[in-house]
Amino acid sequence: MDFNPSDLQRMLLDSAERFLADRFTLEHRRGLRATADGLDTEAWSTFAELGWLSLRVPEALGGLGGTMADVATLATALGYNCVASPFTSSVVIAPTILTGADQPQEALLEAIVGGTARVALVHDEPGDRYAYDKPRGTTAALRDGAIVLSGQKLLAVDAPSASHLIVTATIDGDLALVLVPSDGAGIEKSPYPLYNDQRAADIRFDDVAGGTLLARGAAAQALLTQALDLGRIADAAQMVGSMEADLAICSAYLKERQQFGQPIGKFQALQHIMADMFVATHQARSILYAAIASADADAAPPALARMVSLMRINLAEAYQVVARQAIQLHGGYGITDEYEVSHHYRHQLVLEKLYGDVDHHQRRLAAL
Amino acid sequence: MDFIPDPSLDAFRHEIREAINADLPTDLKEKQIAYAGSQNEPEDSLTWMRILDKRGWAVPHWPVEHGGTGWSPMQLYIFNEECTNAFAPDICWGSSHMCGPVIYTFGSDAQKERFLPEMRRGDYYLAQGFSEPGNGSDLARLRTSARREGDRYIVNGQKIWTSSGYFAEWGFFLVRTDPTVKPQAGISFLMIKMDTPGITVRRIPQLNGESDLCEVFLDNVEVPAGNLIGEEGKGWSYAKFLLDHERTTSSFIFFNKREVARARAIAEAETQDGVPLIRNPVFRDRLTRLEAEATALEWSVLRELSKEEFKYHPTAAASTLKVAGSRLQQAICELEMDLLGARSLRKFAYDAHDRDAAPLWPDYSETVTPRALVMRASTIYGGTLQIQKGIISKLAFDL
Ligand SMILES: Cc1cc2nc3c(=O)[nH]c(=O)nc-3n(C[C@H](O)[C@H](O)[C@H](O)COP(=O)(O)OP(=O)(O)OC[C@H]3O[C@@H](n4cnc5c(N)ncnc54)[C@H](O)[C@@H]3O)c2cc1C
Repeated sequence: MDFNPSDLQRMLLDSAERFLADRFTLEHRRGLRATADGLDTEAWSTFAELGWLSLRVPEALGGLGGTMADVATLATALGYNCVASPFTSSVVIAPTILTGADQPQEALLEAIVGGTARVALVHDEPGDRYAYDKPRGTTAALRDGAIVLSGQKLLAVDAPSASHLIVTATIDGDLALVLVPSDGAGIEKSPYPLYNDQRAADIRFDDVAGGTLLARGAAAQALLTQALDLGRIADAAQMVGSMEADLAICSAYLKERQQFGQPIGKFQALQHIMADMFVATHQARSILYAAIASADADAAPPALARMVSLMRINLAEAYQVVARQAIQLHGGYGITDEYEVSHHYRHQLVLEKLYGDVDHHQRRLAAL
Repeated sequence: MDFIPDPSLDAFRHEIREAINADLPTDLKEKQIAYAGSQNEPEDSLTWMRILDKRGWAVPHWPVEHGGTGWSPMQLYIFNEECTNAFAPDICWGSSHMCGPVIYTFGSDAQKERFLPEMRRGDYYLAQGFSEPGNGSDLARLRTSARREGDRYIVNGQKIWTSSGYFAEWGFFLVRTDPTVKPQAGISFLMIKMDTPGITVRRIPQLNGESDLCEVFLDNVEVPAGNLIGEEGKGWSYAKFLLDHERTTSSFIFFNKREVARARAIAEAETQDGVPLIRNPVFRDRLTRLEAEATALEWSVLRELSKEEFKYHPTAAASTLKVAGSRLQQAICELEMDLLGARSLRKFAYDAHDRDAAPLWPDYSETVTPRALVMRASTIYGGTLQIQKGIISKLAFDL
């Protein structure tokens, strides 16, 4: 075991910390709210130049073939700077599926690596509550040898800035993963922001042709589960980074803010809150490592599922201690949109609730 | 001990309920149900006060000679509960619970005549100008200065977190009139018209999309000396009087009871694999714990209202209600959010008028999260949770 960063990870971290802190200032992030799809296109090109978008693409297909530990290194830096981006979708979830598909999608993977394509997973449907192994109402039919998609999807995260969509659908009673360009005829997107300013969309598919069948049946379900579990790790790493930012911001504030003629950090009540936040964050990073270890050892799917669900349950509780107390420690400043801590709270809140809440992960553990 | 409420109160409740049903305009009620902020639009408070005033109910808890109803504490309790349950907007607390009581207790006859009828009628909104950028919990060291020059004060400084300051016509301010004495003794209570030259107001964007809180900059603002309430240098004791005045309101008991019911309704409407979440042990457990806490809080409030002999300092009881009530507000709103799972994450426009139609989304998904977000403030305003705990340990146990 070696818990210190490898050379690649140190390189990733150095480039990430410098670039992200300079670019993703609070003002810049608030400014992105006015853009149509929330994406900082220029920064995304830099992500490509720095090699970040190729992390989970195998070397044989032109990527870096990095581990989840490498992904997490970068993801914590993104979280630390409160960057809401389609990172998890395009760098972790999509490459997992596109690489594992019956026919690996080399051209599209290359475009992802180059920063010109982004891919979103389109799964949730009206009436779903974290239904990742339930039949889909959306249908994929074979018509004249081509796939035709129809159905209503909800809350497709990162879809507004995506060039391609991976859609879950039912084909002859089987689960299918179908790839379509996002601007095809018959696709109607209603985009909106989430509370961390990441974007999502409800999407209606009306006889959408031109889809590629990536996988079906048990293979599709296995691929979906794996992609989601790796995505959950990437989101968890962003949460940990964001929690660590809260520690830095709050400890500095406690030294700087004066009330009753002394820095508020002198009050033991606040010292203990800070210590609780520290313990929760420390434990969160530890369980993140446990899940990464399972992923990078190619653990059997149930073993990975168990680690990931345990991790998500721990994080869901830890972030409440950290992000909510970060606001409390700031008094009135904490609830404004003009200070970092409320942004970190909203970011962690979104990351905690995507791809399963505590209840979902408890159910999943019980069923393993 | 007699735990049974006076049976005549049933008839009273019935009468109040009928009156509110008749008087509360549907649009006001619907706006309140779909409100994404912490309380309500300040203009709606005024609208509702004007309506209530026709029945003489705008400030029911005031002394009768100033327009109060003379109701008993239990009648007032029922009235407030019925208003909350009907989703009526709140009345303007600045006038009804804070500045009004200070004026009728410490103001001159001329001031009573001038301000109280206008406040009661809801002619204008009143902002509370106490907190400053450098002085929140440590309010006694506030710095905004008021220098006496002839028949006026010249006010300089800055206030912050002034709720609805952008809308208020008047503000009641704590200002430093004497920098030479100990901090508490140099503070005075001043009425300032918000459109006086030298005042600039900036609205502060909040984490839930609302921007009700304001910064108020005062640059050589001339205020007639007659706007001083009571005596110079007594402002601190008036402020303590007003913060102590309505001990039970800080429990937000009516909000808490209503929102527990709303959380239950959401748990019944939201399903997992076709099964309502109310039948899911995880959520049912959380909900019933909150129902238990709300029930306890209600009886804590009733003990306070019925003037139970309390063996601890009375202010410790007020802080107890505040601690329990504010934590409950957060827990309930956060449960409402958690019930929605990932569907709590969609950011709808803050203002109901600007929200896109979303037929695939339940109405409550538009407001549950912004309310949960801003509810983080409930352990900050009116004395933070840490300050309240400090008060309890000091006043109850002399620690
Ligand atoms: C929604 C909202 C509405 C408000 N409306 C108004 C209004 O209309 N008018 C008005 O005048 N003010 C208003 N306020 C201001 C409010 O009263 C202050 O925010 C509050 O008093 C806390 O002050 P602060 O924000 O400066 O925090 P600070 O006092 O700086 O507190 C920062 C942190 O230090 C802690 N702390 C401070 N002192 C101690 C201590 N001795 N021991 C332990 N911990 C301590 C606090 O608990 C907090 O966690 C409002 C605030 C909010 C959030």
